[in-house]
Amino acid sequence: MTDEEFDRLFKRIREIERSVRDLIESEFRKILEDFREDMSHFKEMMYPMWHHEGYLRPLYTIYDRGNYYEILIDLPKSDEGSIDVRFHGNTIYIRARLKEEIRFSHWSGKGGETRFHEYREVIEIPTKIDPDKVKVLKKRGLVKILIYK
Amino acid sequence: MFEIFKEELFEDFIIVEYRHIEIEKPSFALISLPDTGLVSVIGAWHIIKTLQLPEVGGIDSYIHLPPVAVISNKTLRTPIRVFAGNNLFIVYSEFMPSQLGMIKLSKLLANYLERKGIDYIFLATGMPIQNRFEVEKLRTFYLATSQKAFELVKNLDLIPFENGFFAGPYAILLKEFVRAKLNTILLLTESFLEFPDPEASAKNVDIISRIIGKAIDVKELLDEAEAIRIRARDAMKNVVRGLAQMRKDLEYTPPLYT
Repeated sequence: MTDEEFDRLFKRIREIERSVRDLIESEFRKILEDFREDMSHFKEMMYPMWHHEGYLRPLYTIYDRGNYYEILIDLPKSDEGSIDVRFHGNTIYIRARLKEEIRFSHWSGKGGETRFHEYREVIEIPTKIDPDKVKVLKKRGLVKILIYK
Repeated sequence: MFEIFKEELFEDFIIVEYRHIEIEKPSFALISLPDTGLVSVIGAWHIIKTLQLPEVGGIDSYIHLPPVAVISNKTLRTPIRVFAGNNLFIVYSEFMPSQLGMIKLSKLLANYLERKGIDYIFLATGMPIQNRFEVEKLRTFYLATSQKAFELVKNLDLIPFENGFFAGPYAILLKEFVRAKLNTILLLTESFLEFPDPEASAKNVDIISRIIGKAIDVKELLDEAEAIRIRARDAMKNVVRGLAQMRKDLEYTPPLYT
């Protein structure tokens, strides 16, 4: 075998090596992504939207609007005057009393005889919150929090 | 009690009917699947409740739908339920099939509705807008897939959907119904994407009520809006994941070429 043929052979072996490594890495990444997704579903399953101690968890969304974060929270049937929003570090603590007691048993028996009186939620955002740079707006059972970066 | 009058297989789906289904002419179908702000599901639920439509059949799949048994008034029902009465036929589901399942379901529905002799189909859902928190007067956009369908909406206070992307389960249905040459009216009312939006549902129901010529009062829907928002929270949470997979974010993107 000539030197040139040897070089070609080793070059081909290196190519095969690289493609096998890429394939293993991509499969591993896929497995990891699937695992993360399964874990997030599992986490959601463990934390339903209500708690047997008598509080509901609201739906919320965090938007990164460039120079500020916008957090939209859905608090239907909440007493607007009782909506309490507090900030600590990068965490937002929300509590709001319901205008009237709610029981899921009226709809489906879900939750048994648990009576719900308030909303509670803890939301983490990716930045430390300066309470002086925060705006809280309330409307039709919705809360919009603007946190400037 | 679970008596089946008729059962048929369509690819990976099973269609069941609990009684002989007869629909008056001109007949209208409303397809209600979980989508933006659950606008379609809440609206269909209100119509079924108000008009007291009986449950006449259903659709199930062990492959494309979650492994769930729906119990309604002590009776086992399918995840996709069919209600019908007078000239209205409603397909109602609180569960979103997988993307592949959605394609197969669209073909099934096109075939099934054609065989049932449905004259017009409504796809009434929400159009997500970023400033929904501020907006109080909601606008409704429409798209009619045929001249016959256009005749029904031309005199209503609706805005034509001229340019833009439309994504999600209704986009698949729309494409399949156009292929099947079914007279379809797409109604898109501005709404929240990720929160249940009964106000947007009420707007769609009001339009449908005027088109089919049947009074459907939306006052109760609006009065009960906050209670519905509480009740629909879990369903909404489950839908958001499916919408992200169906690239619902594309609806915010302006097209380069119009």
